[in-house]
Amino acid sequence: MDALRDEIGSSDPLPPIPPMPVVPAPPERVYTPRPEKSAFAEQAARHTTALLGIGHVGTRYATNVVLQFQAELAVAHAAVGAELPDGWAEQNGFVGVRSRVTSHREFLLRPDLGRRLDEASLEIVRTRCTKGIDVQVIIADGLSAVACMQTGKALHDAVVRACTARGLSVGTPIAARFARVWLEDEIGQEVGAKVAMILLGERPGLGTGDGLSAYVVHAPKIGNTDGDRNMISNIHLRGIVPDDAAERLAALAQAMIAQRCSGVTLDLGRLGEVTGGRGYRAPQVRQRLVES
Amino acid sequence: MILERIIPTVLSVRRLQRADPKLIEAYGGDPDKHTALGLVTCDQDDAMYVALDEATKQAPVDVIFAKSFYAGAAHASGRLSGEILGVIGARDPEEIDEGLDALIRCLQHDACFYDADGKRTVTVFPHVIASLGEYLAKEAGLAVGTPMAYLVAPPLEATIGLDAALKAAEVRAVRITVPPTETNFACAWLTGDLDACEAAAVAYAAAVVDVAGTPKR
Repeated sequence: MDALRDEIGSSDPLPPIPPMPVVPAPPERVYTPRPEKSAFAEQAARHTTALLGIGHVGTRYATNVVLQFQAELAVAHAAVGAELPDGWAEQNGFVGVRSRVTSHREFLLRPDLGRRLDEASLEIVRTRCTKGIDVQVIIADGLSAVACMQTGKALHDAVVRACTARGLSVGTPIAARFARVWLEDEIGQEVGAKVAMILLGERPGLGTGDGLSAYVVHAPKIGNTDGDRNMISNIHLRGIVPDDAAERLAALAQAMIAQRCSGVTLDLGRLGEVTGGRGYRAPQVRQRLVES
Repeated sequence: MILERIIPTVLSVRRLQRADPKLIEAYGGDPDKHTALGLVTCDQDDAMYVALDEATKQAPVDVIFAKSFYAGAAHASGRLSGEILGVIGARDPEEIDEGLDALIRCLQHDACFYDADGKRTVTVFPHVIASLGEYLAKEAGLAVGTPMAYLVAPPLEATIGLDAALKAAEVRAVRITVPPTETNFACAWLTGDLDACEAAAVAYAAAVVDVAGTPKR
């Protein structure tokens, strides 16, 4: 009987659609954002890219704050997900090497594999690279291939210029794929460099997918720890510009060769103003990704 | 909605633990076999006949009395009269309880009229009993356990419907009650195998719905 009912029912015309009730238009703005009254927060917000003095709407963030946050997060995600295209190293005049990692996903999940060269790359380093130099500069994708592609080449060239100006001999330019910081130890050890320097995309923060970090180590060898390294981070156009960073890196390398050490034992006091010192630095300006 | 179930309303349910033998005799029972009685009124007589039969399948009870009232539930003699009085008898009051449980379960979940025109002004009872109990088997003169289609509709609809049902499947008419009856419906009992009975009932319902929709053609 149910089947018959369904059959009869399906040939019945549908009842007329009931008229839509009138929906009153929502008020234009339910809450108005409260302008930030605290002068302290306003001043503090000018000196940092941190989310200070952003106000609130009721108990929530204002829409433009949320949108900006989401846009910045998207930039960071895109940077982590990016990969160096094949042949990028050769097109830009580098010797291309890669770590033992085989895929981008494995690169993210296995830092240990990213710290060692694979067999083919080891052979390339042994045969094609200049040995016994002062500084071996390596450029690498790290956690942001975007940064490597954008400012990596410029920073590398600036570092080479600065080192040469200080009378340091520089090795064959190497670009490493799927590289972690400690990869500089193996490469530096193979070429017998006094100082190894790796310039690689740093872990993206909110809105900075294009930041590079430089890690410098004296007497590179497998087994060095982070305590043996000096580093400069936030190298991008809105942070430390590549030219300034190159000056400081060259100064660091020179000091390491002079003091025959690096990391926590290196005396930075003798470097003077060139490494940035403790003077006033203009604050970074937050990049607006959405209209407010 | 067309062919929506119209669930029968049970209007009264009472028991007589130890009925007077004269009364039992007057209602068609056997005072030697029956001491306790169960009495039910309901507003759908044919659903009640099916439910009484169901009671004889589930409990050791006999249907001693079942009669429809004249002109149906719409013209009942009282608020609790409905369309039919059914009486079951047994030796033991507990058997009566068991029978009444089965009877009411059948009324609430199984046997019912269906709405044939969407306004409940024409109704149809295209019920299939998969396996007859003692009561209807005796009434129909069939063996206990035979499938039977129990078809009821108003006079003209029933006539058209019965013709459709008999032609729709391998069924045989056991009893055809022509109008007028007590409630002025017309009734037919058909038997065959279970699938045939079901096909006949569906054809019957479809024909009644068709007549209800286009009465003049």
